[in-house]
Amino acid sequence: MRLRGVLRFHWARDVDEALSLLRAYEGKGAILAGGVDLARSARTDIEGLIDITGTGLSYVREDPKGLRIGATTTLSELLFHPLSREYAGGVIAETLRLVAYPALRNVATIGGATVSAHPWADIPTMLVALGAEARWRNEEKEEKASVEELYKTQFRGIFREAILLELVLPHWDGVFVFEKIGRNAGDIALLNVCAGLGLREGKIAWARVAVGARPERGERLPWLEEMLLGKEPDENLWKKAEEEVKERIKVGSDRRASGEWRREVAGVLVRRTLARAAGKAVK
Amino acid sequence: MKIYFELNGRPQYVEVEPGESLLSLLRRLGMKSVKEGCGTGECGVCTVLLDGKPIRSCITFAPKVQGKRVTTLEGLGTLEDPHPLQRAFVEAGAVQCGFCTPGMILTAYALLQENPAPAPYEVREYLVGNLCRCTGYKKIVDAVLLAAKWKREGRWR
Repeated sequence: MRLRGVLRFHWARDVDEALSLLRAYEGKGAILAGGVDLARSARTDIEGLIDITGTGLSYVREDPKGLRIGATTTLSELLFHPLSREYAGGVIAETLRLVAYPALRNVATIGGATVSAHPWADIPTMLVALGAEARWRNEEKEEKASVEELYKTQFRGIFREAILLELVLPHWDGVFVFEKIGRNAGDIALLNVCAGLGLREGKIAWARVAVGARPERGERLPWLEEMLLGKEPDENLWKKAEEEVKERIKVGSDRRASGEWRREVAGVLVRRTLARAAGKAVK
Repeated sequence: MKIYFELNGRPQYVEVEPGESLLSLLRRLGMKSVKEGCGTGECGVCTVLLDGKPIRSCITFAPKVQGKRVTTLEGLGTLEDPHPLQRAFVEAGAVQCGFCTPGMILTAYALLQENPAPAPYEVREYLVGNLCRCTGYKKIVDAVLLAAKWKREGRWR
């Protein structure tokens, strides 16, 4: 445990109480759910921990807007929930099986993963591809934004004074798939891709592709999505998509992988995911 | 602050520091099978079961176990009466320095509760977050498969 200097621990009974406590600490309080990142934080300024796992934010529900996932739902709860296994061709289960390992998934929450949003993380890439909407509340009001838009802002500042309530994943008439490359199943991604396709009368009606761990956080490739629209899904198209990605994707180098390697692999992963999504969509 | 929880089937009402790790609390309570390795939740040697599910005690704040059940290796078997998983680890030669073994056994125990007939790849997948620097994993996987076989034969539940 790296976190030092904690003086008090609170079990908030509801979101209002958690927000009130957060304000009372004047920047020296921290919201705690799974605590995976917080426990590893070297911050020394946190005096109060506010546990929100008892505030009723652990759920998975379906309504006409989509799949609603409460922020404190653990990755294991989500992974094994029947609704998430059925959603968009099973992409949630497919992704979460590749995130860390059971002991971490048993405590890490979907809200924590959304707010931490490490650049190499798999869940943000999936959420961006799926067009997820985030809903949060501060002491004054409730707000919402697409996760994709949220990540273009200084979103961490928002969550110093607000609590993420839930994610809403829209319904899709099609299939998404996810793939990553890491050194083993529990390791962080060297590159990850989430791609989805919808087919109508044998042609691509919509396409969404996000690539993450580039080493930057997952972003969609709108130029690729546009290129795929109205085309017949076949090997030639996937090959063209691969070439396009290799030419246009923005990648960089870090200590885990070179930009050159990422450029090459991004093309291959996009080709594979698109082909697999189309195969599943036809079925 | 004081918290109440159940440790290996026995009620505990103990004083904890608000920022204390569960690992630290358990070792204070004499559960020396729970080791500190990386201290960041990566290596798995500090694994314990919380309400039957494996978690990392080094990155779990002690107050979070309020009202819950914690199981350590001490709750599974004893020197005189080892748990079949412990026997399987000995029989398969899956222990060398032994530092990772408590975490391996508790994780394997959780796996076999969920899936009594795992394929070798499923054992490897479930144990992926538990690191061993001695045995090379093959014998650990063999041990879990042996314990699974004994479980299916009704030798333990």
